[in-house]
Amino acid sequence: MNVFNWARAKSPWLLHFNTGGCNGCDIELVAALTPKFDVERFGIRLQGSPRHADILAVTGPVTLQIRDRLVRVYEQMPEPKKVIAVGTCALSGSPFKDCYNVLGGIDTVLPVDAYVPGCPPKPEAIIDGIAGMIQRRRKSEPHGSDK
Amino acid sequence: MGQTSEVTEELRAAFKDSMIEVKAPRERRIFMRIKKVAFQETVKRLINDFGFRHLSTITGVDLGDQVEVIYHFAREGAIELSVGVALPKNTLSISTVSGLMPAASVYEREVHEFLGVSFEGNPNLSPLVLPEGWPKNVYPLRKERTFEELRQIGATK
Amino acid sequence: MGYGSTVKVPFGPQHPALKEPENFLFEVDGDIVVNVTPRIGYVHRGIEKALELRSYIQDLYLAERICGICSHAHTTCYTQGIEELLGVEAPPRAKYIRTIIAELERLHSHSLWVGVAAHEVGFDTLFMYTWRDREAVMELLEAISGNRVHYAMNTIGGVRRDISAEKTDKIRSSLDFFEKRVQEYLHVIRTEESFLKRTAGVGLLKKQEALDFCAVGPTLRASGVKNDVRADDPYAAYGEIPFEVIVDDECDVLGRTVVRCKEMLESINIVRYALDKMPDGSTRVRVPMAVPAGEAVSRVEAPRGELIHYAKSNGTTKPERYKVRSPTLANIPALCKTLVGAHLADIPIILAGIDPCFSCMDRMVFVDVAKDRNWVWTMQQLKRNTSR
Repeated sequence: MNVFNWARAKSPWLLHFNTGGCNGCDIELVAALTPKFDVERFGIRLQGSPRHADILAVTGPVTLQIRDRLVRVYEQMPEPKKVIAVGTCALSGSPFKDCYNVLGGIDTVLPVDAYVPGCPPKPEAIIDGIAGMIQRRRKSEPHGSDK
Repeated sequence: MGQTSEVTEELRAAFKDSMIEVKAPRERRIFMRIKKVAFQETVKRLINDFGFRHLSTITGVDLGDQVEVIYHFAREGAIELSVGVALPKNTLSISTVSGLMPAASVYEREVHEFLGVSFEGNPNLSPLVLPEGWPKNVYPLRKERTFEELRQIGATK
Repeated sequence: MGYGSTVKVPFGPQHPALKEPENFLFEVDGDIVVNVTPRIGYVHRGIEKALELRSYIQDLYLAERICGICSHAHTTCYTQGIEELLGVEAPPRAKYIRTIIAELERLHSHSLWVGVAAHEVGFDTLFMYTWRDREAVMELLEAISGNRVHYAMNTIGGVRRDISAEKTDKIRSSLDFFEKRVQEYLHVIRTEESFLKRTAGVGLLKKQEALDFCAVGPTLRASGVKNDVRADDPYAAYGEIPFEVIVDDECDVLGRTVVRCKEMLESINIVRYALDKMPDGSTRVRVPMAVPAGEAVSRVEAPRGELIHYAKSNGTTKPERYKVRSPTLANIPALCKTLVGAHLADIPIILAGIDPCFSCMDRMVFVDVAKDRNWVWTMQQLKRNTSR
């Protein structure tokens, strides 16, 4: 496995972005950083800049106000990149799905690689979702990929 | 209910010319409806003479051919007085209270963008919450605006 | 909530002509803010309209999700208003349970905030400690309600779950632990130089200004005003539970932090009292689906301050009009006042000081009135460019 893919698989850097949610998922995602769950022991780090991130973790239904910013953040991330939709709103927009200022789930705007359901999902579920996605990447790209 | 009843009667006496009705369904809650023409004067007196110095928020309600603007005042945290003024839709404006209460400015902006009420004298009625590019005359909380119609507007943005 | 984590979403220099909704427009002269205009809307989901189109019981689920941090405050405010329209009262035991959950929510919200405030001033150790200890409260909420966030305890007519005797014991022991931790934080924030330097004298909001701008919650109380909806306009079981309204005269961000810490200690006492005095009986009354025509104003003291709902019913199963005013919006005018005259570097902690409950406060537009230039910064860029 070439060194880049080993690094991406072993210690992915995560960018957290809220697209209009109630903050429920955000506080559980942040809780994953804190001592009881300590996601950093899995090598997962929350990062500040899209340009350094491997994984985009998105919470909230996509509001009209935020859509362009969300797309821009995604475009600023270097390849290969993955998107994980955290929480029911990010999955489908529900219960705000029909509201006039809401487009729907994240996959109305971006390609999504993993979905973590819950309202909100517990920190363990979020970590599980991220870890599962990394595992699948390791399995499908064992000798490295230039995607 | 003692204090609330007293205050209700004081209000009834003080504003008998401008008032349409006043009622107190429970303690610490008074609802008053007044005529638009008496609005500015009434608000001044409520703040200065009656001590209703905290403005909790301003609500706009679409009544059909009128829009009612309701000002929710509180007195030292306790009695909540809601003062409603009905405005005909063809002359949908009322003077701002932001000169008397600076906090009113944000609430007036909100009622303006969702129901189309003009607050004369408010220097900033720019959108507070609706997205950039939202069509100017589409007021989401008007009853004639259906969900489907609003969704269409959202989707084409 | 971007600012709550170690993650911000920077975009680098932006061209001013790009159409992006800004959160705040800052006019600056050198390093000092001279004017602020708020512009929010990222989290606007059109809830008030949606509430008109669903039944009262469906709306309960929407009301809960207005905010993930103070969801119980919203459902308490909602159910109280609808119960008033229906002419029913939740049974006494339900009112006590509502109060207990409300105070546990205050504990989780305030400790979350202390961690966030610590993070804003670069004190990540305190952030980690508070969020670790906060787990004690989250576990309690999960044990009682089944969920850590969005407890769904309230229903129209009462509460959906009871608190058993075993849970009562667990609550007491967790609170004993948490109380010691909060006393520790109170000591730390008052003595730790790095925290004091960034918060003492910062974000000043004088008492008369707080009143003139109709501020609410800990922001108001840290400016010396003794207003608290739980005491002034009692609801649930607060009328029967003695407690102190915490006030501070410092009028700065440090004062707001001290108020929240002391309020946590007070909340712990309220829960203990409520557990001791909890009346027996049912936890809910059955209510009809249709609500007679009328109007009601409902107020609660959410962790961030006065929360007010206005409900208008029309005799059907759906509301005619439902208005929600969250405490953060009430504090925006006061916030703008405190920002004028502030240094750019203090903007993040002053914004955090009102404990804002809308996501993505991470973009600000700056206009330098003296030099006639404008630029856009994210929160992270602001911190990097103004760190001292």
